[in-house]
Formats: sequence, C-alpha cells, structure tokens
Amino acid sequence: MITDREVIATFEMLRNEHLDVRTVTLGISLFDCASHDLERFRANVREKIHRLAHHLVAVCDDVGVRYGIPVVNKRIAVSPIAAAAGAFSPAEMAAIATTLDEAARETGIDFIGGFGALVEKGFTRGDRALIEAIPEALATTQRVCSSVNVASTHAGINMDAVYLMGKTIKRAAELTANSDGIACAKLCVFANIPQDVPFMAGAYLGVGEPDAVINVGVSGPGVVKKAIDRARRSNPRMDLGQLSEIIKRTAFKVTRVGELIGRQVAEKLNVPFGVVDLSLAPTPNVGDSVGEIFQSLGLRSIGAPGSTAVLAMLNDAVKKGGIFASSYVGGLSGAFIPVSEDLNIAEAGRKGYLTLEKLEALTSVCSVGLDMVAIPGSTSAETIAGIIADEMAIGVINSKATATRLIPVPGKEAGERASFGGLLGEAAIIPVSNHGGSDEFISLGGRIPAPVQSFGN
Amino acid sequence: MQKIVVSVLGYDRPGIIAAASRILFERGCNLEDVTQTILQTEFVGIFIASKPDGVSIDDLRSSLEAELAPLGLSALVKPVQKAGEWTPPPSEPFVITTVGPDRPGLVAGVTEVMTRFGVNITSLKAVFRGADDPQHNVMIYEVDIPLSINQKAFRQALNGRAKELGLDISLQHRDVFETIHRV
Repeated sequence: MITDREVIATFEMLRNEHLDVRTVTLGISLFDCASHDLERFRANVREKIHRLAHHLVAVCDDVGVRYGIPVVNKRIAVSPIAAAAGAFSPAEMAAIATTLDEAARETGIDFIGGFGALVEKGFTRGDRALIEAIPEALATTQRVCSSVNVASTHAGINMDAVYLMGKTIKRAAELTANSDGIACAKLCVFANIPQDVPFMAGAYLGVGEPDAVINVGVSGPGVVKKAIDRARRSNPRMDLGQLSEIIKRTAFKVTRVGELIGRQVAEKLNVPFGVVDLSLAPTPNVGDSVGEIFQSLGLRSIGAPGSTAVLAMLNDAVKKGGIFASSYVGGLSGAFIPVSEDLNIAEAGRKGYLTLEKLEALTSVCSVGLDMVAIPGSTSAETIAGIIADEMAIGVINSKATATRLIPVPGKEAGERASFGGLLGEAAIIPVSNHGGSDEFISLGGRIPAPVQSFGN
Repeated sequence: MQKIVVSVLGYDRPGIIAAASRILFERGCNLEDVTQTILQTEFVGIFIASKPDGVSIDDLRSSLEAELAPLGLSALVKPVQKAGEWTPPPSEPFVITTVGPDRPGLVAGVTEVMTRFGVNITSLKAVFRGADDPQHNVMIYEVDIPLSINQKAFRQALNGRAKELGLDISLQHRDVFETIHRV
C-alpha cells in the first residue's frame, strides 16, 4: 500500500519542484566504424547511430509518460573522434562533425557529444587534426559538442594543449561572432574527464566502455531547494548538520528516479545500463536553480563569503544520498554552477557577487568548473590559457574532474549581456582581471609533471 | 465450513472489533482476514471468516444485530461469492492522483472513465475539505490497468475528464513511488 504522503510528496516534486530526468544519453562506440576512406567512415557512423538510436527519443518519451517523470533531454555520446577517425585531416574532421550533426538531427536529439580528443600526455596526428577542426565544426553545426582532455592526475597538465585550446576557443568565438560566440558554449576543456559523462558539452564515450550504453543525468536543484525551505520553515532552529541530512535524503529520491528511468530505457533499447550521474544541473528557469539553494541556506547570494563551504556541503550531501540510491554512479556527480544556465547564478555575476576568482574557488569543491562563463571578447588566447591552466591544476591536484567552458564574447566587454538561447541561457560578461599577465608563462609550453599523490596537504 | 463476509458499520468507539470478533468466535467461526477503516467519525470493519456447517447465516446475523444494535452499529453477513463472477485480467498497477478545487461529481466523473476502460480500483483515498491547500482536496486511486486496453486512449480520456472537472491529474506506474520513497 502506497501512503498518501508518498503520493502527495511525489506529486509536489513533479508539479512544483521541477523533478525530472535531465538527460538520458546513449553512448555509442564508433571504433568499429573505422575506415581509411572518409565517405565510408561517415556512412558507417551514420548507419550505426541510426541503428542504435532511432528509437531513443520515442522510448524515453514512453517511459517518461509511464512513470510521470519527464526525460527532458535525449542525447548521444560517441567515441572520441580524434581516436575513431585518427587518420583524417582537419577538413575531413569537420566533415565528420557534419555527419554527426545530421545523424543527431535525424534521430531527433538535441546534442551529440564526442567530437573530442584526449591529449593530457601528448598529441597524435588525429588529435591535432581534430582540435584544428573544432572551431569550424562547432560553428557550422547545431548539435555537435566537443571536449578535449588536456590534463590528468596521472599525466599532469599538457601546457601545449592548454595554449592550443586557448587559441581554439578564440577562433571558435570569432567564427560565431554574430551569435555571441556560441560555438564556445559547445566546447569544454577538461582535466580527468570521466568516460561516462551523460551531460553536455562534456559527454563522450570512453574507450573502456561497451559498444552501446545508457547513462543518465539526474537533476533536481528545485527539489533540493524546496526540501530545505520546508525543513527550515517547520524548524527554524535546524542546523547545517540537519540540513545536510535533508539534502542527502532528497538526493536519494532524485537519484532513484534517474536509475528507474534509465534502466527502463536501457531495457527497452536492449542496451546495458551504465551509470547515474548525480549532478544537480540547473536550467535557466525560476525554481530550477543551484544558486537559489545558497540563498535557502542563508547566504545573500552565491558568491558571498561562505559560498565555498555551502557548495562543499551540498556536493557532499548529494553524493552521499545518491551513492546509497544507486550502485552504479559515475560521470561528473556533483553540483554544476554553469553561470549562464542558472538564472540565479547569472544574476549573482551581474550584480558582482560572483567574480571569476570566486568561481574558481567554488570549482575546487564541486563538479566541473568554470562553466558557461562569458568573458570579454578582447581576452587573449594566452589569458584564456592561463585561466584554463589554473582550473586544470585544481583538478589534477585534487584528483577530480574539472573543466572550463569559457566564452570570450566577440565585440563585447565586461558588464554587457551575452545571450546563447534555450538551455544555454544568458549572462552578464564577467571581467577578467590581470589581463595579459600570463603571456610569458603560457609561452613556455611543455608538460607540468604529474603531482605526487601522497603527502596530501 | 462455508466462507462468509461480515461487515460492521457505525460511530467509532473502543470495543467494536472486540465485540464483533467475540460473537464470531463464540459461534465457532474462524477469522481469515480482517480490516478496518475510519472516515471522520464512522467506523467500518470487514471480516472474512469460515463458519461451521451447524451455524446458519441467519443465526449469525441475528446474533450480531442483537448484540451490536444497542451500540448503534449495523452488521451485514453474507456468503463469500465463488470465484468466476469477475476474474481480474492481467494488469499493471498504476496510481492516479488528482488535486484541485472541490465540487460535486469529482469521484463520479473520474471513476466513470476508469469503468469505461475496465480499470479496477484496488485502493482509494479521497479527501475534500474545500480549502485552498491542494493537500485538502486530493484523490489517490491505486488502480490495475488491464494490459489489453489502449493505455494511450485511457490516458487521454482521463486527462480530458480532469480538464473538464478542473483537476490536475497524474497517472504514474506504481513502481515510481516505491522507488523514490523506500529503501
């Protein structure tokens, strides 16, 4: 017998708290599509994506309706193209991006990830060709996302790749200058990228993964915020230990939903179920914000002193609840703070509560990193590379994934607005201090060695 | 031994189950299932028992009435029907929840759609207090939806009826509630 409380609580979570499954991502290996012939490769890729993904959207919708839990996004993650298509030139790589884009459109999904490379220790010819193709590929396609892993705890930081990505980001922004550099919103630079991320723009299918796999990204910042608000209303003396328990319990519920939906979709598609990614992922809607949680926990805004502590607690409580809820947890698993994608965080940036430096500090305790941060278009490739290097260092030293998704908005300066549309949202451009102060350091290149893993202070 | 169903209805107070079960025990009946519920002030208890062949249903009924009437309780006794009157088809368990302003005809309106599609209600809780708080005007139906029916058409019909009645409605597979709320 289901209790009334369980039914009403679920109803409220769905109607008023934006409970949903943020993404069901079908991973598809493209290694068996390999060919020396470009057209053959493209045909193989298209055929395989069609074969495995043509029911994805319908199945997700059916399962969503059956359980009353919407699956907001359906996506595809493929093997890193730099490896799967290593023999091709930059122009040919861009053509492959077009194929991925068309396959994504034909299967009705909104993003396809994996136009990427893993270069933390060095470049292959395919890696260089792919990175060179990124600006054009992202500027000429709608749905293709790209991630490049330039650092890891085991390999250190490939500073040549960091610099190259600084230049690549600049170029991608310039090619989409009339839409605020939107190509950069589809481009992540990673340290320690997980192999099974279901969230864009970082999603790709790692080389240790099966031929096809369903990974699920849960959501639920609204559910967490409302749970905190309710708890504090019913007991105004509730302390942070008790509130952390509330967050943990809520994360458990949200994760269970994700796993239920993911497993059902996997079963219907006859594909193995991979992981649940326990990330709190916001959307640019009121009530679906990670930033609002900071206010529910007593801060005037995200960015105020105490924010790093709040985020650390939030991230940890989400993991504790989620890990108990699912045996297969993976991906990024933590709270996201994508500035433009979260109304509240974007507002904190606009009002000056949130600086680039504070954002960087926050990324040391949450998943991912400097995400969807619009910076002045005049920021140089070297300065962007310096920002990336700092973010990579946080990931490498702390054995965690970190990333940047920086958008140097062409022709716009700090304080002006940049708009990317839809889920990508809009934000005020955040100033970059000490511009130009990193040029000589970045020009040194080479690889920063892997850090010692003991003496962990 | 014959299987019987006994129901007892009346203003709630301590001792109703004790009185009814004592009478059944003294007449040699063996209880198999008992359940009770209280709505506002009204108690109802349902007993399924097997009775010895030497005791007639009429005897049992008059004993129950004689002892329970002074307490203001009514009793009903009848034989349990044999299987075959209605056999549940292969079904899946769903939960229908509605929230919305109170008005006459809500239960009748929603359940008419269920009947039309052969959807059986296995548990129902409906509360109408008329206030603005959605939790004060709620219907929760646990239902079995036959595998053979067109689920999409049922869902559409249900949504259409909810709209006519001004209700916010959800129809969800039962698994989701256990998955979310239970370890």
